[in-house]
Amino acid sequence: MGDASRLPLEGVRIIDITHDWAGPHATRMLADFGAEVIKIEYVKRMDGMRGGRLENQLYNRHPRWWEINRNKLSVTLDLHDPHDAEILRDLVKITDVVVDNSRKGVSDGLGLGYDALVRIKPDIIVLSMTAFGQTGPEASYAGYGGCIEPLSGVQSLTGYDHSTRPVRVREVDVTNGVMGACAIMTALVHRQQTGRGQAIDLSQLEATTHALMGPHLMEHMSSGAQPLPLGNRDARVAPQGCYRCRGDDRWVAIAATSDEEWRRLCGAIGRADLVDDARFASAEARMRHHDELDRVIGAWTAEREPEAVTRHLQAAGVPAGTVASVEDLSRDPHLEARGFLHRAADDSGRYPGTPFRLSGITAGVRMRGPFLGEHNEYVICQLLGRPKSDVRPVREQDIGTAFDIEGPAPGAAR
Amino acid sequence: MSSLPAPDSSPTSGAAGALAGVRVLDLTHYLAGPYATKLMAGYGAEVIKVERPGSGDPSRAIGPFVTPHPDPETSIPFLYLNTGKLGVTLDLKRAEGREIFTALVRQADVLVESFAPRVMPGLGFSYETLRAVNPRLVMTSISNFGQSGPYRDYRAAEIVEYALSGLMALTGDPARAPLASGPAMTQATAGMCAYVGTLTALFQRGRTGEGRHVDVSIHEAAVDNVEIAFAEYLHAGTVAKRKDDHHALVPWELYPCRDGYAALIGGPVRHWLPANDLFGEPLLAERYPHMADRLAHRPEVEALLRPWALRKDKKEIYHAGQGRKLAFGYLATLDDVVESPQHAAREFFEPIDHPVAGQQRYCGAPFHPARTPWRSDRAPLLGEHNARVFGDLLGYSAARVGELRASGVL
Repeated sequence: MGDASRLPLEGVRIIDITHDWAGPHATRMLADFGAEVIKIEYVKRMDGMRGGRLENQLYNRHPRWWEINRNKLSVTLDLHDPHDAEILRDLVKITDVVVDNSRKGVSDGLGLGYDALVRIKPDIIVLSMTAFGQTGPEASYAGYGGCIEPLSGVQSLTGYDHSTRPVRVREVDVTNGVMGACAIMTALVHRQQTGRGQAIDLSQLEATTHALMGPHLMEHMSSGAQPLPLGNRDARVAPQGCYRCRGDDRWVAIAATSDEEWRRLCGAIGRADLVDDARFASAEARMRHHDELDRVIGAWTAEREPEAVTRHLQAAGVPAGTVASVEDLSRDPHLEARGFLHRAADDSGRYPGTPFRLSGITAGVRMRGPFLGEHNEYVICQLLGRPKSDVRPVREQDIGTAFDIEGPAPGAAR
Repeated sequence: MSSLPAPDSSPTSGAAGALAGVRVLDLTHYLAGPYATKLMAGYGAEVIKVERPGSGDPSRAIGPFVTPHPDPETSIPFLYLNTGKLGVTLDLKRAEGREIFTALVRQADVLVESFAPRVMPGLGFSYETLRAVNPRLVMTSISNFGQSGPYRDYRAAEIVEYALSGLMALTGDPARAPLASGPAMTQATAGMCAYVGTLTALFQRGRTGEGRHVDVSIHEAAVDNVEIAFAEYLHAGTVAKRKDDHHALVPWELYPCRDGYAALIGGPVRHWLPANDLFGEPLLAERYPHMADRLAHRPEVEALLRPWALRKDKKEIYHAGQGRKLAFGYLATLDDVVESPQHAAREFFEPIDHPVAGQQRYCGAPFHPARTPWRSDRAPLLGEHNARVFGDLLGYSAARVGELRASGVL
């Protein structure tokens, strides 16, 4: 326990009954830092992220699966089956945290609610990541990012202007996943101090709203203000925008967040004459003439590549950044210099790194997301000491999907 | 370790927070850092926010303000992002200020800072220096691009981080420019990641007794938001593009309805067919029973759904879909969010009093640990707790605190 070079969460065991993206992202963050995350999979209805195709074991090979569930173990159990339910109870005895993101009542029905688990493991931590929370009139409702994002108000603030349909940021699953990791670490630190576990009720709607909408809602409740989408502009500073560059669909984001940065921007684009132009003398004035500024800046960027614009403006002290595609990210010199991308120890390729780093610790990708049932024998025999006869091989004819993309699979879901 | 009494404004609550006994020195400003330390304070840590004498956290000068005129005590972003913290002032540019800060570091468990990477070493407060002062210290540094690398000293704004992290290329209409997020997606993500990173280091300290330096790059934290698209490029070479909200599945987006937009989400997929009678369109189930059929005939499926949606109100559609186990939603205005019966039943919005800003309603806890409460105390006034913090922690007399204040150190 005292070895400082060990990963910080080594020895923490997490039973992961989550599916799709938000819940798995929470446990991925902790798996990256050494937690042993055991994903419980239901063969008759695989996690949607495994897709719906069985040929060539495609369900084991999706890049999204490898990423979201990296560093985790997979054990297949049918919790409706008393034999498998007993195996899970055995596993709970040696587990620190149980996480699920099913709708309210599903876990209780499977005997995985806090009240049942605490009788098996008195200091257990149980995180429930439902869409809407464990209480309230909508507690039984289901959610994906596609409904949580508009219901939180995030989407009402994102759009080109107030006359066109608002646009999704689309990634509140990650917001909710990180909040799930916040919740687990809060309870782990508390248990380390006091020896006590607890249940945590996380509503994904509340988590997204809290992280992204807090000041906007306060303003609204205080003054009745009805903020509208601002496109690529800012409410207080100008100019700010996204400007077309040379090349196919290449763009750069530029913001002058102070009068000083505005003056630097003018100099950097060869328009020092604008510094003394009364139309642009203050942020308010620049806001009034924003369309004109956009034309001036856009004419300058259109002849340059976004990386060149970024380098040039940053050298002049102006905030600017290339609108990076995922391909751009893969060869970004800064991310490369920081060693952000990891090559997995299992030779499964490259992965994005961790969203924070700890000095003296090399956290990273040891293994791609697991094959279905890949660790049945490890968990059932090695961890639990049960006989090999307890391990049921995964049979393709038993596999069902959450995701009937090519029609019902053989032996399909209940 | 000894803890300060809770701030005056605190409602008397029996149970201690999950992070009770953890003392945090908070040298952060603007959004990402303050959000991380707001969560620490909310879950029971003693967070001492250290601000520059005179002006304080620059976000105090950023509106909107509760009052008709700008006031450093009524900035809404400041009020929201600094709940539950104690507030002291200290001039770190003066030798005396740095000595006092070093004395505080000796008694802290955590230091969170969000200066540009050159600033702390320039003040003599590199992690190596502070570790020598307090080997148990967990120091978390939040910066735009991390503590190293060619962009280390780049300037940033939310839109610039959103662009460089890969998010912006995936947001918006392909016929128009990439689009920024309304809320500050990258900074919020980084704030939460800083919370996870700090607690991970604290957890390890509980085992080893040694602190760590936690490096949080807002840029890298934000990249996780596109982890799926990024992995699909790294493993399969596919480059995702923005596609105006058309989801890979159908239906799975907003459609216009009688009073706004409703989110028709065709999942969980197994509940779609049993729910199809909802739409009064027998052709839906007959012709497009499987997701593969719907994907192959997106326009036809949408043509059957749109008229139905246009005849109904957004909340009617939401409850009708959810009543059939489909994860429907609707485009909530801020009024809708504030008036949500679900939020009301869970008391998500909490009134908090403030001597200058008055009573305002805030989002309460982001998650609810059953045994350990969330603390909803107001943000501190500038320098409000100087006498208490410097008196209780460092043993300064009231007269000494007065002298330091008069000389501008506090």
